[in-house]
Amino acid sequence: MVNKLYEYLPNAERKGISPKKAIGRIVYIVIGVILSLLFLFPIVYMLATSTKSESAYAASAGSIAMFFPDFADLGEAAKNYGNVFANYGIWRYAINSFLYAAAVIASNILVNGLAGYVMAKLNFPGKRFLSFMIIFLIVVPVETSIIPLYSIVKIMLGLKNTASVLGVILPATISIFNIFLFTQFFENIPQGYEEAARIDGANTLVVFFKIILPLSKSIVATVAVFCFIGVWNDYLWPSMILPYAQEGQWPLYPIQSALTTIQSIQGITTGEIMASLIVTSIPIFIIYVLAQKYIVQGFGTAGLKM
Amino acid sequence: MTVSALIIAAVFVVVFALFAFYDVVTSRRRKVKYRIWTAMTAYLMLLPAIVLAFLFVLLPILYSLGYAFTDYYLLKPNNISYIGFENFKQVFQEIAGRGTLYHALINTTEFVVGVVPLQIGLALALALFVNKTYKSAKVFKVCFFAPVVISLSVTSFLWLQILSPSEKGLLNSLLGVLGVKPRDWLRDPATAMPCIIVLSAWQGCGYQMLIVLSGLSNIQQNLYEAASLDGAGAWHKFTAVTWPGLRSTFVYIIITVFIGACRILTQPMLMTGYQDHTVTLSYYMYQQGYTYRWVGYSSAVALLMTIVIGTITLIQRRVFREKD
Repeated sequence: MVNKLYEYLPNAERKGISPKKAIGRIVYIVIGVILSLLFLFPIVYMLATSTKSESAYAASAGSIAMFFPDFADLGEAAKNYGNVFANYGIWRYAINSFLYAAAVIASNILVNGLAGYVMAKLNFPGKRFLSFMIIFLIVVPVETSIIPLYSIVKIMLGLKNTASVLGVILPATISIFNIFLFTQFFENIPQGYEEAARIDGANTLVVFFKIILPLSKSIVATVAVFCFIGVWNDYLWPSMILPYAQEGQWPLYPIQSALTTIQSIQGITTGEIMASLIVTSIPIFIIYVLAQKYIVQGFGTAGLKM
Repeated sequence: MTVSALIIAAVFVVVFALFAFYDVVTSRRRKVKYRIWTAMTAYLMLLPAIVLAFLFVLLPILYSLGYAFTDYYLLKPNNISYIGFENFKQVFQEIAGRGTLYHALINTTEFVVGVVPLQIGLALALALFVNKTYKSAKVFKVCFFAPVVISLSVTSFLWLQILSPSEKGLLNSLLGVLGVKPRDWLRDPATAMPCIIVLSAWQGCGYQMLIVLSGLSNIQQNLYEAASLDGAGAWHKFTAVTWPGLRSTFVYIIITVFIGACRILTQPMLMTGYQDHTVTLSYYMYQQGYTYRWVGYSSAVALLMTIVIGTITLIQRRVFREKD
């Protein structure tokens, strides 16, 4: 038995793995595969179901076929996704989400980056007070100020019309923690770069945009990635402040909030629901693949919050 | 309300001016030189951040403190009166009378007690499992992390289908093969919260796994070598090297997972709606403040919750730090 398993392990002999270790490795892989299946089965189920018609879904119930796409009728998959896009208009909500994310990324980096730059590099009366406020607001655990925040935004913007879009973007623009992050990062940029530019006659804003930001690509990218994930995945706040879509008008909901609307459409099939969930998850999946480096960096900075 | 916001803004500006003035007065002693032009540029560049932080960070905190002592009803923002501790009295009556808030408290406690050990235990076990140089370990790591990519609302809707009460739902149909009758998992008080605990841990633990992994990579390898030389076995190495090395990572994870768990809202909201057997504190607050528009009462609940969670977090820090 041992020797047989040993033969199956590719290159075991060449790599100098002993039979005892080989068994350990095989047990490791078996346990890993079982655990992976436990973690992946809901996602596999979601993918498989998104390709099925309601009758194919019902037919597969209780069998292993629940975890495999309906190969017999792949046109059904195209129909599900087609309905989600064309009939339920998920692309509009996706565009909204992208626009909100773009606006938040740009304004968040601009506002907090400028503040971080000032806190790191400029000297002015009252700086010590502001530093204290920044630390204070990060450390104090604010459980739920979402209701007071809602009442403030409602009174400020009225929330009856498209002005409510600002209610999505403005509160997400300010992030005390990002100011702190930018400050930490900018403090480590040597003063020499700036002085060279100043001798050439550049003013503070020019220094910030032409010297500091280009030197800070990694922190800017990290903040941008986390802003994107935050805005894309936010469900509650946009649902609270944005109005329902009016018939014949472009809706204002971002994609996560729209999921509730899509779910409640009369006659929607399980396959279509799953297709809408997958469409919603794809951009985040792509971001995690493309921006791995910055996400891992973000994990490193998360420890700073303590 | 606009008036009170202006008053708070004025107080803030005055306090800031006092501190700035103090800085100027003591500048010679501290050997700092201020230049007017630099200071003006600095204020100008800080202005957007300060205005936004004032409106959307500071003001909500102060208001939630203040509202808790008023009868603020969202549709009558100009008719707010101070009512002392009435809201808090109502909170305790609601709990004592086994009202919805009582259930919210019980359910939230159940969720926290269930999900914190489950999620952290899983994260720790998975991190130790994939912390190998094998190629397969990398693949497993990606598999365990995959659910993190899915947002909470997508997770809720996905599991709503998995736990569907019909016999075609994933769980019911698989159990049906074994001859178990279909159940309504989310409407049954005995199974609803445990289901939500499991799916939340499933979605979240990959994130903590990565944090534990980065903690593990910070442990110096020569400590393990030294332990091996002393003849330590795998278990002994774990208790003597790995565990102490993970301590600060662990404190961070416990506190963040605990605070996150206390805030649970999306899952019950999307999966069951406002029901006694799944309502949580955050959901109760949201319902009172947003749907029923009793901002004053909702703020009182929020204030109590902040105090309780803040106290528990402080105790956690004390307990885990003391042993260092």
